[in-house]
Amino acid sequence: MIEVRDLKKEYLEEETSTRALRGVSFSIKKGEFVSIMGPSGSGKSTLLNILSFLDRPTGGSYTFLGKSIDERDDRELARVRNEDMGFVFQAFNLLSRLTVYDNVEIPLLYSKIPAAERRARVEKAVRDVGLEEKLHTETGRLSGGQKQRIAIARALVTDPNIIFADEPTGNLDSQSGEQVLEILAALHQRGRTIILVTHETNTAEFANRIIRMKDGLIESDTPIVRSPRANGHSIK
Amino acid sequence: MHGKMRSILTMLGIVIGIASVIVLMSIGQSAQNLILNQVQGIGSNLVFVIPGGSPNGRFSSPAAAQGIVITSLNQRDADAFSREASVQAVVPEVRGQGAAVYKGNDVTVSFEGTTANYFTVRNMMPASGYPFTKSDVDSFNHVAVIGPALAKTLFGENISPLNKTIRVKNLSFRVTGVLPAKGTGAFGIDQDNLVIVPLSVAQNEMLGIPYFTDIIVEANPAYDTNFVKSRITFILRHNHGVTDPNKDDFTIQTQEDVLSLLGNITSILTLFLAAIASISLIVGGIGIMNIMLVSVTERTREIGLRKAVGATERDILEQFLIESVLLTFIGGLIGIALGALIVGVVYVVLSSFFSFGWVFAFPPSAVALALLVSTLSGLAFGVYPARQAARKNPIDSLRYE
Repeated sequence: MIEVRDLKKEYLEEETSTRALRGVSFSIKKGEFVSIMGPSGSGKSTLLNILSFLDRPTGGSYTFLGKSIDERDDRELARVRNEDMGFVFQAFNLLSRLTVYDNVEIPLLYSKIPAAERRARVEKAVRDVGLEEKLHTETGRLSGGQKQRIAIARALVTDPNIIFADEPTGNLDSQSGEQVLEILAALHQRGRTIILVTHETNTAEFANRIIRMKDGLIESDTPIVRSPRANGHSIK
Repeated sequence: MHGKMRSILTMLGIVIGIASVIVLMSIGQSAQNLILNQVQGIGSNLVFVIPGGSPNGRFSSPAAAQGIVITSLNQRDADAFSREASVQAVVPEVRGQGAAVYKGNDVTVSFEGTTANYFTVRNMMPASGYPFTKSDVDSFNHVAVIGPALAKTLFGENISPLNKTIRVKNLSFRVTGVLPAKGTGAFGIDQDNLVIVPLSVAQNEMLGIPYFTDIIVEANPAYDTNFVKSRITFILRHNHGVTDPNKDDFTIQTQEDVLSLLGNITSILTLFLAAIASISLIVGGIGIMNIMLVSVTERTREIGLRKAVGATERDILEQFLIESVLLTFIGGLIGIALGALIVGVVYVVLSSFFSFGWVFAFPPSAVALALLVSTLSGLAFGVYPARQAARKNPIDSLRYE
């Protein structure tokens, strides 16, 4: 699904240049749940921005679903983000004066899905995160955990191939964080590809593979083997 | 847009702008109707013959109107007109000014010397008493028909002027009739202060001139006024020996000409008023632009999110343009309602306190223009903020605090 070869990203600011990614290579198959870890400044956010088509690399190659980012124009990047990608952010990025329904519907407004089907999809997505009773509540009135579950519903509503979650538990208490991670794990169980960016080891361990980054390079790329116990996660 | 209050305040500029466009266009239209009604009140089927050419076309003023005395129109012309089958009546006129005196009262007035058919042709039959007759004109009788305001000035409220003797330019005249109140006419002649006397007396005894100030020709209803105009042109060129049409020493205007000229003038006036009013629309539009820019900054994260989940630059541009157009369009609707209210109040005030014959006019063109202009101003002043929004980088926008 994702092929990255010698990916580089350099930011030019006036006289100085910052090399955020200095040659990164890996591939992610369909149905994987991958955590990208690393301290701040390690390049993980830059990598996520490129993987999620919000930014373009300055070197190397990135192929998503068999087609290179270089062969896609900005309109196509927007279309792929809409149809094939779902986004969950640390700060939720919900529009607080709109209802749950209206928030979850937003990605569908930029696709060509007819109104009747939009309604069915929004309702299903909200049901999937267990908040159907809040459908017509303004998101400003929800708790942090509920907000992030709605954000996940928004990411799911277009039925994407891959979900990018950028520090999804960063603004949550541990219990709400756990709930959110369990939803992501459940999505993975049902075959969804998930890329989770985090700096917390506990969070990262919900995935089945951890890519650790440092100074714009991959420090390690390790698979995780689950123990048979229901709640247990441990690194091999 | 956050906050209904802010939207309403923002719209206020557009509301006031549109309301003033509506009010000024409506008042312009009313004034136009009023003027045209007065011109039509002079009488229909009339052709005005004025001495002096108007070489630059019919929209330049003839020499007579510029105060140059031209003596080319005379009795021979009037007689020739009378012989035309297409002409129903010929009314030569001379004009002058002098003091009108009754007992101690003394006032300067305009007088007109004319023939007996003046009263029917000009639609000016006396409200009381009688007009003078053809035999009065032929016999140089010193009789006069006076305007109602002049009657009041000279005689007061309680004395009937009929059969009283007044002096005009030191000649005695017996008053035979008083005209109905008509107000100031289309050409600035105060018809209510007029003295009308027989042509013969005015020409020979008051002014000492053999020529006419103008000739009014009433067309035979069976003929088109433009045909009459062409016949009169032919006769005058023949009588005055004019061979080159560019050197005509007369000007002929049909009522249609006058109406279209006045219509042009008042239309330009109305447009001019609307142009002034549109300045306030520009100010209102800048207000819209300002608030949209604030809104774009406030909603940076929203823009970032929308772009992240698949909105293109065009989607964002459209979203913000629709918002600004909606603001100005609603502002336009409210402005039209407010304008209509003001026009209604002006109408009620003018028609109850002044006897203007003010007409309520609310031209559909003004409404259409107002809606068009308000929508366009939403577009014009929304484009810049909308482009700012559309060009935002989603990564930075998502992190914007």
